Amino acid sequence: MPTSFELNGRSVTLQVADDTPLLWGIREDAGLTGTKYGCGIGLCGSCTVLVNGRATRSCITPLSEVKNLAVTTIEGLHPSGEHPLQKAWIKTQTPQCGYCQSGQIMQAAAMLVDFPDPSDEQIDNIMSGNLCRCMAYVRIRKAIKLAAAEMRDDIASSPTAPETAAHE
Amino acid sequence: MKRLAIGTVALLVLLLMAMLILAWESSIAQQDAPAEDTFSQRQIDRGEVIAGLGNCQSCHTVDPERPYAGGRAFPTPFGTLYATNITPHPESGIGRWSEAAFIRAMREGVARDGSHLFPAFPYTHFTRVRDEDLQALYAYTMTREPVDARAPENDLTFPFNIRLLQAGWKLLFFEPGVWQPDTEKSDAWNRGEYLAEGLAHCSACHTPRNTFGAENQDRDYDGAMVNNWYAPAMSAGNPPPVAWTESELYTYLREGASTYHGVALGSMADVVHQGLGIVDDSDIRALATYFSDVTGALPEDQTAAQASRRIADAQRESMAMRSNDTGELNRGEQLFSNGCAACHYNSADDPNVLRPELSLNSALNADNPVNLIRATLRGVSNESGIQGVLMPGFASWNNADLAALFAFLRATHTDHPAWNDLEQRIARQRSDVTTSTE
Amino acid sequence: MNKLFQSLLNPEVNGVPATGDNPGSASAEGHKKRPILNRRGFLIGATGAGFTLAFYRPGLSVAQPGDVVADKTFDPTIWYQLQTDGRIIVNIAEAEMGQHVGTALARIVADELEADWSRVELNHVDSDPKWGLMVTGGSWSVWQNFMPLSRAGAAGRQVLIEEGAKLLGVSPDECRARNSEVLAGGQSISYAEIVQRGDLSRTFSESELENIPVKPAAERRLIGQEALALDVPGKTNGRAMYGIDATVENMVFARPLIPPTRYGSTIQAIDDSDAKDIDGYLQTIQLNDPTGTVPGWAAVIATSFTAANKAAERIRVDWAAGDTATVSEQDILDHSLRLIEETSQGALVVDDEGVDSAFSSADSLLTQDYIAHSVLHFQLEPVNALAFQEEGRWEIHTGNQWQSLILPVLAKALDVPESQVIMRTYMLGGGFGRRLNGDYAVPAALAAKTIGRPVKMMFTREDDVRFDSIRSPAYQRLRMAFDADGQPIGMEHHATAGWPTQVMVPAFMPAATNEVKYDPFAIQGAAHWYSVGAHRLRAISNDLANDTFRPGWLRSVGSGWVNWALESFMDEAAHHVGRDPIEFRLALLKAEGKNAGSAPNAVGGAARQANVLRRVREIANWQQTMPENTGLGVATSYGQERNMPTWTACVARVRVDRETGKVNLEKLTLVTDAGTVVHPDGARAQVEGAALWGASMALHEGTLIEDGQVQARNLNTYTPLRMRDVPEIESEFIDSTELAVGLGEPATTVVGPAIANAIFAAVGVRMRDLPIRPAAVLAALQG
Ligand code: FES
Ligand code: FES
Repeated sequence: MPTSFELNGRSVTLQVADDTPLLWGIREDAGLTGTKYGCGIGLCGSCTVLVNGRATRSCITPLSEVKNLAVTTIEGLHPSGEHPLQKAWIKTQTPQCGYCQSGQIMQAAAMLVDFPDPSDEQIDNIMSGNLCRCMAYVRIRKAIKLAAAEMRDDIASSPTAPETAAHE
Repeated sequence: MKRLAIGTVALLVLLLMAMLILAWESSIAQQDAPAEDTFSQRQIDRGEVIAGLGNCQSCHTVDPERPYAGGRAFPTPFGTLYATNITPHPESGIGRWSEAAFIRAMREGVARDGSHLFPAFPYTHFTRVRDEDLQALYAYTMTREPVDARAPENDLTFPFNIRLLQAGWKLLFFEPGVWQPDTEKSDAWNRGEYLAEGLAHCSACHTPRNTFGAENQDRDYDGAMVNNWYAPAMSAGNPPPVAWTESELYTYLREGASTYHGVALGSMADVVHQGLGIVDDSDIRALATYFSDVTGALPEDQTAAQASRRIADAQRESMAMRSNDTGELNRGEQLFSNGCAACHYNSADDPNVLRPELSLNSALNADNPVNLIRATLRGVSNESGIQGVLMPGFASWNNADLAALFAFLRATHTDHPAWNDLEQRIARQRSDVTTSTE
Repeated sequence: MNKLFQSLLNPEVNGVPATGDNPGSASAEGHKKRPILNRRGFLIGATGAGFTLAFYRPGLSVAQPGDVVADKTFDPTIWYQLQTDGRIIVNIAEAEMGQHVGTALARIVADELEADWSRVELNHVDSDPKWGLMVTGGSWSVWQNFMPLSRAGAAGRQVLIEEGAKLLGVSPDECRARNSEVLAGGQSISYAEIVQRGDLSRTFSESELENIPVKPAAERRLIGQEALALDVPGKTNGRAMYGIDATVENMVFARPLIPPTRYGSTIQAIDDSDAKDIDGYLQTIQLNDPTGTVPGWAAVIATSFTAANKAAERIRVDWAAGDTATVSEQDILDHSLRLIEETSQGALVVDDEGVDSAFSSADSLLTQDYIAHSVLHFQLEPVNALAFQEEGRWEIHTGNQWQSLILPVLAKALDVPESQVIMRTYMLGGGFGRRLNGDYAVPAALAAKTIGRPVKMMFTREDDVRFDSIRSPAYQRLRMAFDADGQPIGMEHHATAGWPTQVMVPAFMPAATNEVKYDPFAIQGAAHWYSVGAHRLRAISNDLANDTFRPGWLRSVGSGWVNWALESFMDEAAHHVGRDPIEFRLALLKAEGKNAGSAPNAVGGAARQANVLRRVREIANWQQTMPENTGLGVATSYGQERNMPTWTACVARVRVDRETGKVNLEKLTLVTDAGTVVHPDGARAQVEGAALWGASMALHEGTLIEDGQVQARNLNTYTPLRMRDVPEIESEFIDSTELAVGLGEPATTVVGPAIANAIFAAVGVRMRDLPIRPAAVLAALQG
């Protein structure tokens, strides 16, 4: 059965079996390979995308479940890759092999919606679902804090202080 | 043994009742479908809301493309019942029912042809509904798209397949009569009670049933199993970790989620998102007013503190489990941290409804783990729970892993005793999940 | 000759004189035929867009540099192009797997070239035979390439100055180069203009190149300075392409069906009847592998990975299992112990005079055994490969660390000459040594050949784990003889494990003093720089391990288990004679005799190891009084090879929960002396990652062999360290202008023993099994 949903702001229709995991729909059928496969059982976080703004492990989410919902992948986080998290990731030189980083960034983006000024404890609890086999954790934490600070400043300094700014 | 005993008793009852001939009900004559202009639009619209309150569609529909065409199976201890087609189709639906026949069915549980209906159809509640509401419902029903569909024959074991027996059942357990207000209580409370006990028939799911399948009056809202889900207890004697408040009840019924209790799943998701979705705010508030009384609600300002304490306790106990390498529970802690916490972790002082807090969750605090097992295996679809938010299913985890996770959660996130036989229970639900059409 | 083994097997590579005491300095056959980097000349020739600067192969006549460039018969490992638009493109044959290798190598070139760094780009090359031999591993990339790249950059600069001077009408002596410009007095000319107008064609003979002066350290402008790695942005926006992202038109997907044993299983029957109705399922094929890499395998072919996966769950394969179907971890360790006790077994890598007499005359003896259990690579990207034939050549697209090792195997599997196989290397979603062994490309190639269509074979995580080249379980026995003053006078170290090099490249095994060939990678790290009197080092191959699984090179390889035993034992030895563990070690790091060190790689010898140890003592505040059940432990290492020592020291601080046995790792303090640090931030990242790997292997990872396979299959039971487990880390590099050495691995080797030693300091129990499980600590506490 075809499934239609919004992918990075564009509506797409994929002609694949309903139980195809979203991960493979995104990678093989929509051709966006930034989202990665690591474990297939929801325990590494490398396949994390946003579904209606919430971090979701795409490897265990059937494509049919996102019908009519909005899916955002690393490619769609920011049109030119300059989301505050992406900038912070570069500034802190966080990625090593980089394979986990799409998932880390998407998870962090979702976290900052709920916890705009995350404490170490909050980062530990939320980011421990994302395995970094290169063990770049020290920098991931640093980058998250850097981005969070920038995003808070942005919101504070913007004239309308929109509620939604952090939600995209 | 138990079954045999039930059968014997029932048989005796049957004989007794048959002798009394009380069972006999007349048939009401068929009529042609009412003319197009029989009903006002206002009446039809009103009827739609009534149908929503009664959540009629959810039981009487299998295929969403063909609403009200019946056919949905209801497994009961006595066999499987199938919901009937209530579209106005003249042959297979209720197209030839007069308003009187319709109202009699709702009030007395008797079909047009005089046969007794099974109480899976909650006429025991609908009997409370006022005339004008039943008339509106009739108007709405008769203006639906007729669908030619016949539900499968009920598959009940003897002697329960004898419809006449229902007459005896009614004598024992059915108290007919339109709802009457309690002048001691507020208007909102009364409105809430009218809706809850009548149309919305809440206790039909949330009250345990006796041997004969009747609601056990002594255990009102004590929680019960329905269609393989557990409808949680709502009675004051079975408090959830954080007491309900009126505003939480309202939010839950309106949005399908409560910060302090969790999200609506299974049949309750249908109730909230399909049934109550079109119901006026004032009625939702009335339901909340009524239930906050039934559940023994706390004042609003105390619940937040109660919740924070609870979350903090759970986090402290989890931490202890983390450093305590006692096999399964420790493994459960790892699994939770790596697989669940990204979405379910909360700051103790500020739980977020979009991050369902498991230490407060009714599925985890229930006596029966079935809701937790089902939600975890199947996930929570975008249409259940909070609309637009989904949780993927974790059927890819093996039974041992899930059991370790649940045991850990139960031990650290609740004050309740451990569940038994988790692995077997998960295995059972897993096979149900794959075969279920829900 | 690939670079990984070059220096091990030929100590003269890079002008390094043989140190004689290098356990790997024995020569092996075969290497002499292969080109050695600094035995080549250098040339500059015009190409379409500018000039190419490259090493050329020995024996080539290079009358016309342009012809060689056009033919691409130069050495591929390092070359760069000056484009007419001013861009400088540096070709990188090393695999990028998180070490930012391209950035480090390009900065070495650019520094000597005096290039404008902002115009430098990287180009990761394929494995066309024209590129020669390729391998990335052993933390060798920077060390191996440092001097050749510096000279190549310097040669380029010299020629640009010559030509620039001509164009400016001045003498070269008046010119200097800076930031991609040649400057003379007030005049300047850009490199781009020189490339457009000048004639840079040149050849440098081997000796000319040798004599090109490189800049003194003080004049370096890029090396040692902070820089953003060029590969990083693509790893933040989804654009970096990994093997798993490779596609080609018309390809189908395959998932392997892996037999019950690594070797010796045969397929009796395949029943795919339950899979036939899966949409997209095509067929299941048996793989007939003439190379023996994947015996008894089958592959499920489908039009999507999901369909292949679904089908694989429903296909029933009946295998006759090989001999190792019941082997357990304990069987392997028991076998190890037997081998250790048979003194005739194994290779005597070091066998000083007088070991036996030292032990017989000793005042006291200390003997301890240490175990390290199986470890998975668990690189985050499960292995995969895309194989197809195009224009008569086979293309293999995958992330790989050692193309030269697997190319001949692929050629044999495909039954074509090696020249008809080309590997295109993608980013690696983690290497850690897993992808030194390219065995996973073989079933993809076989499947593509069998069905005559491009095949992308993807391993699920479970497949990847079952097929992993794990770090072998290792059993070691260490002994020390002390005189009446508590001074060590003799030491024995017996180590047995599965040997990766024996299984995968036996030709690379050097002979030990007793002529037995051995795997240098399985014993490296044990030829320590402590002066302990007569030393005997015996390495034994565990044949049961080799038969049961394919032992792998895993980050730091042998040093990972060898140093676990060695540094735990040094601690025990210190306590045996009642001395402070750091004092005890410092007293043995005398920098005398064979431990004095030599230029250029090991200048300073043991003195530099003593230096990092003293420094770590200082910054970790070693003498502080500790809270209850909390302790500091130390360990040190020279890394992997005496010929490329990376001096490392670590102090771990742990708190032990006496009730549960749980070890809380609170802090790691590390000091590294890696000589010149080319890319400081990349270096820090490598040490952080390596240290946490060490912590993960010590406290969180580890699995067991059960029924001939690894027990853990995925993250439900294999639990590497996560964000919440990260201790505080303080890491420092010694300021140095000595030769740059590798630093991707050494930190992994010190953390485990430092933790065990800290546990002893905290609660007085000695843990000798890795990983350290709370239950074991608890049992030890309860006595
Ligand atoms: S691939 Fe989805 S969580 Fe690991
Ligand atoms: S950067 Fe390699 S897995 Fe995280």
